[in-house]
Amino acid sequence: MSLPSPSPPRRATHTSRQTALSDRVLLSGLLWLTAAVYLAPLLIMLTGSFRSADAVLDPGAGVLPRLDDAAQAVDNYREVWTSAAADFPTYIRNSLMVAMLSTIGLTLSSAAAAYAFARMRWRGRDALFVLVLATLMIPPTVIIAPQYLLFKHLGWIGTFAPLWVPAWFGSAFSIFLLRQFFLTIPRELDEAAAIDGCSSLGIFWRVILPVARPALVVVALLAFIGSWNDFAGPLIFINQPHMYTVSLGVYMFQSQHGQTPWNLSLAASVIAVVPVLAVFLLAQKAIIEGVATQGLKE
Amino acid sequence: MTITSRQLRVSRRAAIGTAGACALAWAAWPRAQRDLAGMPRGRKVLHYWEKWTGAEGAALQGVINTFNQSQEKLWVVRVPISDISSKAMVAIGGGDPPDLVGLFSYSVPLYAEAGAAMPLDSFPEHEWRGETDYLPNIWKLLTHEARPRAGVNTCYTLGLYYNRAHFREAGLDPDRPPRTIGELDAFADRLNAKDAQGAIRRAGFLPNLPAWWPYSWSAYFDGRLFDSATGRATADEAGNIKALEWIAATAARVGRAEASAFAQTFSRSIHSPQDPFISGRASMIVQGPWLANFIRLHNPSLDYGVTAVPIDDALPQPELPRGLLEADVIIIPRGCKNPEASWEFLRFMQRRETQEQLALAHCKGSPMREVSSEFLARHPSRFVGVFDAIARSTRADVLPPTRVWPQYADLLGGAFDSVWRGADPAATLAAVQARAQGLIERASSLRAARAERGGA
Amino acid sequence: MSGEHESRFSEAKPARSSGSPKAWLWIAPWLIGFIVFMLIPSAMSLYYSFTDYSLLESPVGIGPANYVELWNDPLFWTAVWNTLAYAGASVTIGTLVALLVAILLEQHIRGCGVARAIIFLPTLVPLVASALAWAFMYNSEAGIINRALGAVGLPTPNWLGDARYAMTALVIMGFWNIGTAVVVYSAALRDVPRSLYEAADIDGAGRLARLWHVSLPAISPAILFNVMISIIWSLQVFGAPQIMTEGGPDHSTYVYQLYIYESAFRYGRMGYASAMAWVQLLATIGIAGLTLALSRRLVHYRAA
Repeated sequence: MSLPSPSPPRRATHTSRQTALSDRVLLSGLLWLTAAVYLAPLLIMLTGSFRSADAVLDPGAGVLPRLDDAAQAVDNYREVWTSAAADFPTYIRNSLMVAMLSTIGLTLSSAAAAYAFARMRWRGRDALFVLVLATLMIPPTVIIAPQYLLFKHLGWIGTFAPLWVPAWFGSAFSIFLLRQFFLTIPRELDEAAAIDGCSSLGIFWRVILPVARPALVVVALLAFIGSWNDFAGPLIFINQPHMYTVSLGVYMFQSQHGQTPWNLSLAASVIAVVPVLAVFLLAQKAIIEGVATQGLKE
Repeated sequence: MTITSRQLRVSRRAAIGTAGACALAWAAWPRAQRDLAGMPRGRKVLHYWEKWTGAEGAALQGVINTFNQSQEKLWVVRVPISDISSKAMVAIGGGDPPDLVGLFSYSVPLYAEAGAAMPLDSFPEHEWRGETDYLPNIWKLLTHEARPRAGVNTCYTLGLYYNRAHFREAGLDPDRPPRTIGELDAFADRLNAKDAQGAIRRAGFLPNLPAWWPYSWSAYFDGRLFDSATGRATADEAGNIKALEWIAATAARVGRAEASAFAQTFSRSIHSPQDPFISGRASMIVQGPWLANFIRLHNPSLDYGVTAVPIDDALPQPELPRGLLEADVIIIPRGCKNPEASWEFLRFMQRRETQEQLALAHCKGSPMREVSSEFLARHPSRFVGVFDAIARSTRADVLPPTRVWPQYADLLGGAFDSVWRGADPAATLAAVQARAQGLIERASSLRAARAERGGA
Repeated sequence: MSGEHESRFSEAKPARSSGSPKAWLWIAPWLIGFIVFMLIPSAMSLYYSFTDYSLLESPVGIGPANYVELWNDPLFWTAVWNTLAYAGASVTIGTLVALLVAILLEQHIRGCGVARAIIFLPTLVPLVASALAWAFMYNSEAGIINRALGAVGLPTPNWLGDARYAMTALVIMGFWNIGTAVVVYSAALRDVPRSLYEAADIDGAGRLARLWHVSLPAISPAILFNVMISIIWSLQVFGAPQIMTEGGPDHSTYVYQLYIYESAFRYGRMGYASAMAWVQLLATIGIAGLTLALSRRLVHYRAA
C-alpha cells in the first residue's frame, strides 16, 4: 500500500534474488533495440529536415544526419522561420496561448469532476460516469458542424474561444484517469482534514491535489499535447491566417500539383515539436519524482 | 547556510510558474496582424479562402498584391486552407462565409443547386463579357443550368509525355509518338524492360501511373459518363466498357502484381527527381502540363515530347484530340458581407492577363479563349500548345455536371481497381451504373422535395 | 466502472462530504460542457441521420432511408470489416507491446530514463511528419524495413502498395504510439505492493511466475483502462489511413471514419455520415460494455 510521506521510498532492487549477468545483458540489449526501433522514424524526420528538397525524397539516403548537411539545415530552418507563407513565430504564440489556457482549465475541471466521482456518493453517480465514458466514443466528424453553429451563435467564431473554452469543462479521458487515481488515496487523509475543520473544497485543495500531483502532471501534459497537436478544431474554427496554430502551419508548405518541399515540411514539424518536447521534459521529472505513489488500483 | 531541499523545490516551482506566466504573456500580448501589414488605411478587407499553399499559393499572392496596389477601395487577404471542402461547407452552411472561396470545378453543381454560390449574372458586367471570354469547355464548367456560378482559376487537361531517347533506343521514331491505343500498346511492349525475376525495371506505359484520374480513360474511347440532356448516368456505355477492357488487357499483359508494385514505388516521388518519368523508369506517362516545370528543374537534359493522349483505333474525327478538362474555380458564397466588392475582385481574377500570369506560375494552360503570343512564348513548358489544342478541341469534354460526381468518381475508381484485379468490365460498370443512377435519382427527388417546401 | 472499493470508514464519513447538492456543484462544469458541447451537437447529428443534409441546404426528412442504404452499401461493410480488423489487431497486440515495453522499462537497466523518453516522443510528433517518415521506411525498394528484411532473407512485400499488406503496415505503425499506455502501465507497476512480491518469493516463484501471478493481476485495472481507451481510439482511426494510403490500395485501408468524412464533406451527405456515426457510437458502446462485462472475472481490485 502506498502512503505519500511516512513510509520510506521503495527501492526497486530485487533483494531476494540476484539477476544473473546474462539476464541483464539480454534485457539491456532488448531495451536498446526497442529504443532504436522507436527512434528510427524520429531520426528520419530530423535528418530529412536537414537535407535539400531533392535529397529528402531519396529513401535510400541514410538515416543519420551528416556533417555536411549543416549549412543546408540552417538554411531550411531559417526559411521556415522567416517564411512569408507561414508565420511560425505567430503560430507558436497562438498555439502556446491556446494550449496553456486549455491545460489549466482542463486539469482543474477534470480534477473537480473526478473528485466528485471518487469521493462523493449521490444518486445516478455511476450512470453519469458511464455517460462520461460514452463521450469518448462520439465520432468527432459529425458533431463539428453543429458545434460550429453553436459557436457562431455565441459569437465566438473569429476568436480563440472555441479552441480552449470547452477544455474548461473537463474531458472524459482526464476525468477517468484522475478518478482512478483519487480512489487510491486513503480516506484517512480526508478524515484528518475534516476533523481539522476543512470543507470538501478544503479537502480537495489541501489534501487531494497535492497528493495527486503526479497524476495531475500526467493529465496536464496529455492535455497540452492534445491541444498543441489539435488539427480539426483550428481548421474549422479559425478563419484568419494571423490566428493559425502550429498544427495548421505545418501544412502551409504542401503543394497541390507542385512539389511539396518535404524538407521544409519536416523542418516545420520539428519546430512544432520543440516546445511540446520542452514541456514533456519538464513534466517527466515531476512524474518520475512522484510516480512511486501513483496508482491505478481501485 | 545550507539550502534545504524544500526551498530548492519551492524555488524550482516558482521558476517554472514564472516561466509559464511569461510565456503566456508573450503569447497573448496583442500584436499587429501580419496579414494586414502594409495595408493603407480606409480600405475594405476581403477574405479569400484558397486551397493553394506552397508555390501555387505564392503565385496567387503575387496576383493579389497586384490587385491591392491597383485600386484604393479594397484589400484582399489570402487565407490558405489545407482542407477547403470541409471548411467551406461548414462556414457557408453555418452562415458565416468569407468573401470569396476557391473550390474545384466538380463542386459547382452542388453549390449551384444549394444556392451557395451566387449567380454571377446578377452582377453588373462592365469589362466581363461572360461566355465569350472563355474556352467553351471552361464555360461549361463555370455554369450550372445555364447560369454562371463561378469564375475560373486555372485549368488543366492531360497529355502523353514520351521519352524520345527511349524511343530511339527501341528503334521507334522519336518524332512519331503513338496516336492510337493500338500503337500505344505496341510501343509500350517494345519499351518495357523486365529483370530476371520478372519485376518491371522500366515501364513502357502504365495506366495506373499515376492513378489520379481513373475515370478519365473513357474519354479516349469516346465514352461518355453522363448524358446532360437526360440527366442520366451512362457508365455502362460501350465506350466506357471498351476503356476498361483495355485496362484489363493491359494489366494482364504487363503483369498485375508487378505493375501495381512498380506504380506504388513511385506514389510519393511524383514530381521529384525520383519521379518515374523524370528518372527514366517510365517511357510514357499521362500527366498534366506542370510536369514540364519539374523536368526542367530535375533533369533538364531529358529528351522528351508531349502529344495528345492516344485514342481508340476506330473513332470518328481522329485528328481531334480527346481529353477531360478540369479547373479550379472561385465562387462568391451566399451570405457574404459585400457581394459587390467580392465581384470586383473576381472580375480582376477573370482578366486574361491575370489568368495567364497564374497559368505561367502554375505551368498550366490558359482557360481563356484569347491567348496572348507572349503567354505561349514565355510559358515554362514548350509543349503548352499541345494542352491548349486539347482544351480547345470540340471533342474534349468536361466532368459530368452533377452534384453526385465525387461519389460517382469514387465508384469509377473502384471499378478501375476491380478490373485491374481481373473483374469483368461490363459487369463492374453495370453495377456502377445502377448505383450512380440511383444516387442521381435520389438527388433529384430530394431537390424536388426541397423546392416544394419552399427554398433551399 | 462500478466495482470500486469502498473504504471501511465510509459509514463514519461526515455527512457533508457525501451530500448530493455538493456533488452536483463539483460536477457542474463537466455537466454543462457535456450538455452544450456534446449532447446538443450529438442530438442534432441524430436528427440529421434521419434527413438528407448537405450542410449547404436545409435538411430534408427522409426517415430511416440512410440506415437502410447503409445496410445495402458494400463500401459500408468494407469499412466496417477494415476497422474491426484494425481495432482487433491494434488492441490485442498493442496492449501486449505496451505491457512488455513497460515491464522492460521497469527492470532498472541503465539509461532506461532516456529510453522512456524516446518511447514517449512519438506522441508529440504531428501526423504529417510521422506519415512521411513511415512512408520512407515502408518504401519497397529503399526503405529500411525492406532492406533489413531482405538482408536476413525474409520476403520484402510492397507494404503500402499491396492490398494484402497495407493494413498490416498501418497496424505496425500504430505500435509506435504506445507512449501514453506505457506511462500508465509504468505507474501501475511501480505501485504493486512489495509484500505481494515477497510472498511470491517465499513460495519460490521464478521471474515469469511473479509476472503472471502477481504483477499482471495487480495491474489489471490499469490494463482494463488501457484496453478500453485503446478500443475506443482504434475504432475511430482516421489520420494515418487518410494521409498515408487514402483508404487504398483497393479500399484495403478504407476505415470507417474515412467513409464518414468523405460522405460528409466530399459527397455532401452529412445525413448519411451522421447515420454512420450513430451506428458507430452504438457499436462502440456495445463493444465497451461487453469488454467491461468480460473483465469482471479478470480484473482484481485490491483493497486500498
